[in-house]
Amino acid sequence: MEYLIHLAILVDIYVILGVSLNLVVGFTGLLSVTQAAFYGLGAYVTALLLVNFGVNFFLAALGGILLTALISLLIGFVLSRFRGDYYALGSFGFNIIIYSVFLNWQSVTRGPLGIPGIARPDLFGLNFSDNFSFLLLTLVLALLAFLLARWLTTSSFGRVLKAIREDELALQIFGYRTLHYKLMIFVVSAALAALAGALFASYITFIDPSSFALFESIFILAIIILGGLANLKGSVLGAVFLILLPEALRFVGFPSDIAAQMRQVMYGLILVILMLYRPQGLVGEYKL
Amino acid sequence: MDILPQLVANSVIAGAIYALLALGFNLIYGTVKFFDLGYGALTAVGGYAVFLFYKKLDWPLALSVILGVLIAGAIGWLANELVYKKLRARRASNMVLLVASLGIFTLLQALIAIFFTSQFQTLANSAAAGRVLEVGSAVITPVQLIILASGLAIMGLLALGFKKTFFGKAIKAVADDEEVARVVGLNTARIIGGVFFIGSALAGLAGILVGFDTGIEPTMGLSLLLKGVIASIVGGIGNVYGGVLGAFLLGFVENFGIWKISGEWKDAIAFGLLIIFLLFRPRGLIRQ
Repeated sequence: MEYLIHLAILVDIYVILGVSLNLVVGFTGLLSVTQAAFYGLGAYVTALLLVNFGVNFFLAALGGILLTALISLLIGFVLSRFRGDYYALGSFGFNIIIYSVFLNWQSVTRGPLGIPGIARPDLFGLNFSDNFSFLLLTLVLALLAFLLARWLTTSSFGRVLKAIREDELALQIFGYRTLHYKLMIFVVSAALAALAGALFASYITFIDPSSFALFESIFILAIIILGGLANLKGSVLGAVFLILLPEALRFVGFPSDIAAQMRQVMYGLILVILMLYRPQGLVGEYKL
Repeated sequence: MDILPQLVANSVIAGAIYALLALGFNLIYGTVKFFDLGYGALTAVGGYAVFLFYKKLDWPLALSVILGVLIAGAIGWLANELVYKKLRARRASNMVLLVASLGIFTLLQALIAIFFTSQFQTLANSAAAGRVLEVGSAVITPVQLIILASGLAIMGLLALGFKKTFFGKAIKAVADDEEVARVVGLNTARIIGGVFFIGSALAGLAGILVGFDTGIEPTMGLSLLLKGVIASIVGGIGNVYGGVLGAFLLGFVENFGIWKISGEWKDAIAFGLLIIFLLFRPRGLIRQ
């Protein structure tokens, strides 16, 4: 039971991450491979505020979200100068730069040692230290993230995003400032990823840079491509599938380090096979 | 203390490795016009092939290195045959190809880790590793001299090959316009296959040289891939000579960059350089 709750919490966190990245990649057509950086920023800022200043989790998470939003605004501004595969490459770069900040700014992040002893959330006497209540918290937040994303993408704002994806130039001719729209959705997406990071940090109670390396961004990308781009339910489906599937390997009885590599083999294969035979994923509404 | 000659020596040696990587990457990019990220994992393929033959099976050094280079080439060729060729025949977008190559990268890297464990290994014999040469006040190892010499030799050989041989000219024709090349009777599929083989073999060689200089680990490909990509873009993507120039520039910027700050920031510095170039001189040093 405890194990199922653990998996459900992870699924919730990755649903938030998948939905957030889908806003940028699926709906707006910008192939961003830097989501793990924002996920990590949210986690680190939250953890540092909790451990060093003992502020309330929800305030710390808010701090993490705001700082991540600010940094993502700068990064989004630089990335908005690029198109297509150069955009992907640039976003790669920012993931690596932020990862090396986590790893090397040792006086603040403690580098590879990570930050232990992160507290679980606590609100008006409500304590989320047992896993079941934490699950409820993540479930509510994942649902809110999903609803926010659905509201954004079904509104007129969302239609502009899809139009940017299809033909940005035409939209500019109609007088839309596409840069503003691209920046806005990029920042919203990063803020949601930071929320997922805050939840992750306080759930595991320990973070280190390895959770936020480039591979993590590829994993989140695999979730939304498998589920289907520009379809929010697809991201939920992708998160459930990619979190639960590797757990099957655990029962086959591989040693844990081999199992970890087998997961990567599987993610790699899934990406290749999807690109070959079903680039729109399971229920996607947009193909790269 | 006079540290300058040592920094110059380090820069030139790093530059030679990056130049090999950029040559292969540029060759492939110039011909098929998409970012082949799977290329990075082939450095590890080459390195680990030599590890298997030379260290595990005790085969002669020269034979092991030749086999390592050929195996890296063969796997690059295979990736094209099995995946990229089909995608390109379907006229898939660059982003689809990029995601597929990301999948191949993840797959190869994880497979290597499963077969050889994730441990850091060195290729050089301990006897040879101890010797150093002093050039002025700089210290260089014999391996590094070999890196430099073989790097320069391969560059010369390739330049000559492109200019003088039929195959070299055919590659240029395919790079200019694949359709026209096919119409005039070139076997474009075979030429592209050849390009993948040669490019991947260069990646393998670079990985082997790094393995003798410092060592190998399954995840080495990412950093090397990025160096190759950055050198190519900084130099002028698709331009073979520009890539070499970019490689040495990158080598110098990286090594002088860590003069004052710690060495772990190398990757971040490299990406900083890339982003500056993408913003202010997107077509690189030598424009096409």
